[in-house]
Amino acid sequence: MEKNRAILFLTVIVLFILLLFSFILFPLQHYLVLSVAIIGMISLLFFKRFERKKVKAREIVILAMLAAIAAIARVPFAGLPSIQPTSFVIITVGLVFGAESGFLVGAVAAIVSNIFLGQGPWTPWQMFAWGTMGLSAGLLRPLLGKIWIQCIFGFVWGFLFGWIMNLWIIVSNMENFSWEVFIGVYASSFSHDLSHAICNVIFIALFSKRWVKILDRFKRKYGLLGGSVGDEGSV
Amino acid sequence: MVMLVENGFRSFHPYVQICYYLFIGSLLMYFNHPIFLTTALILLIFVNLSHDSGKALKKWIVILILMSLIIILLNPFLVSRGTTILFYFRGKQVTLEAIIYGITMALFIVNILMMFVSFNVILNGNRFLYIFSKFLPRTAFLIMMSIRFVPLFKRRLDEISDVHHIRGMSMAVGSIKNRMKNGMLRLQIVLTWSLEEAVHTADSMKARGYGLGKKTSYIPYYMKKQDWAWLVTLCLLFALCIAGGTLGYGKLIIYPKLGTLHFFLIDWIVFGCMMILFSFPLWVEGRERLRWKF
Repeated sequence: MEKNRAILFLTVIVLFILLLFSFILFPLQHYLVLSVAIIGMISLLFFKRFERKKVKAREIVILAMLAAIAAIARVPFAGLPSIQPTSFVIITVGLVFGAESGFLVGAVAAIVSNIFLGQGPWTPWQMFAWGTMGLSAGLLRPLLGKIWIQCIFGFVWGFLFGWIMNLWIIVSNMENFSWEVFIGVYASSFSHDLSHAICNVIFIALFSKRWVKILDRFKRKYGLLGGSVGDEGSV
Repeated sequence: MVMLVENGFRSFHPYVQICYYLFIGSLLMYFNHPIFLTTALILLIFVNLSHDSGKALKKWIVILILMSLIIILLNPFLVSRGTTILFYFRGKQVTLEAIIYGITMALFIVNILMMFVSFNVILNGNRFLYIFSKFLPRTAFLIMMSIRFVPLFKRRLDEISDVHHIRGMSMAVGSIKNRMKNGMLRLQIVLTWSLEEAVHTADSMKARGYGLGKKTSYIPYYMKKQDWAWLVTLCLLFALCIAGGTLGYGKLIIYPKLGTLHFFLIDWIVFGCMMILFSFPLWVEGRERLRWKF
C-alpha cells in the first residue's frame, strides 16, 4: 500500500515536471493538444487502476454516491452565487477514503456536473483539478489531522483550483503569450478564487469534523475502501 | 426517451459521432487561417441549427459575442509583439499582428464552444458513456450510476428544504454564514440518508449477479453500413486536412510578421476537404429531408 502510494505520487510529479519542461524547452505549437493529452493520461492512469483492482459492488455504489453528492453540492446554494461546497466534499472524501478514491470522486464529480451543466473544453481541466484535490487530501492525510491545517489546505486549494482552470486559456494561446495577458487572466479570476478559498475554509471549519466522523463510521461499519471489517463480495 | 426514433445525424453510431467531434476539434486547433475559421464558424452555426433549430445555441449566444468582443478589443493592447506598428497607445506599440491574432483567437474559442454546444445535444447521457464503456467499463458504470443519483438527491434535497422551511431554517434570509450552515446541513442530511441506502442498492445489485459476466449496454448500438462508409470518409478527409496542414496550408503566419492571406491551389483543396468534413451532419440531414419530400 505504502509502495503503491509512493509510485502514484512519483508518477504524478514526473508527469507534471514533463509537462512544465515540454512547455519551456520545445518550441511546439500545439500546447493545448499536448496538455490535454498529458492530463488525459494522468486521469487514465487512475481509471485503469480502478478497472484492474478488486472492488466490491458496495464500494462502487458508495463512490458513485459521493461523486453525485459532490456534483449536486451547489444546488442548495443556488441563491448564493460563487459559493459551492463541491471542493469541501471532495477534500473530505480524500481525507477519509484515501488518495485514489479522492481522485475518482473528484474527476467523476466534474464529469457528472458537466453532463447537466454542459461539457466544454474545461471538462478535462476540471476533472484534473478536482481529482488532484482529492488525491492530495488523501496523500497528505497524516499531516491534515488538525482542523486549522485542513483550513490552510482548503484555502490553498481554492486558489490552486482557479489557477489550474486558468491554464486552459493560457495554454490555448501560447503563441500569443505575454506576461500582461498572463497577469490579466489571473487577476480577473482573483476575486472568484478568493471566494472559493474562503468558502472552503468556512465549510471545513464548520463541517469537516462531522463529515469525517460520519464517513469514517460508515467506512468501518461496512469495511469499505480500506476499512477493516468484512471482506465478502469482491467483484 | 429510449423508444424515441432517432434520425439524421442522431441515428449514427456514437463512435462515428465522437470521431466527427474529435476531428473537427483537432482541425480547429490546427488551422488558424481566419477564412478557414470563419467558414468553420458558419458551418457550425448551421450544424447547431439543424439539431434543434438553435435552442441550445440561444443560451450561449450572448456570452459568445461578449467574450469574442473582449478578446478582440483587449489583445492588441495586452500584446505588443509583431512588426507592423499601427499606432502607439500610452507608449506601447499596437500592432496589426496582435489584432489579427486576437481575431483568430476569438474565432477559435467561439468555434470550440460551438462544437461543444452541438456535442452536448448529440452525445448526451447514454451515448457519451457508451464510448467509454468498451475500454473503461467500470468507470463508465460508476459515472452512469452517479448520474442516476443526481435527480434522486435533488428530490431529497427538495423534501429536506421543505422541512427546513417549516422549521424556519431558511436559505433566503439571514447572515451569509447562517445560510451556508443551513445549506450544508441539508447536504449532510442527504449524505446520511443516502449512505445506508447505497449499501442496500449494492447488495441488491450483487443478488442480481452484478460482475458475473461482461457488462452489456442498456441501449445497444450497432455499426451499420452507412456508419462504416461515413467513418472511412471522415478519416480520409481528416488525413488530407492534416497532410495539407503539415505542409503549411490553411495556416497563417502571424508572429513576428503577418504572412499573406492569399489562397494557393492546395489551400483550396484543403479548404474543400475541411468544409465537407465540418458539414457532415448537414449532408446527412439534408439528404433525409430531400428523401422525405420527393
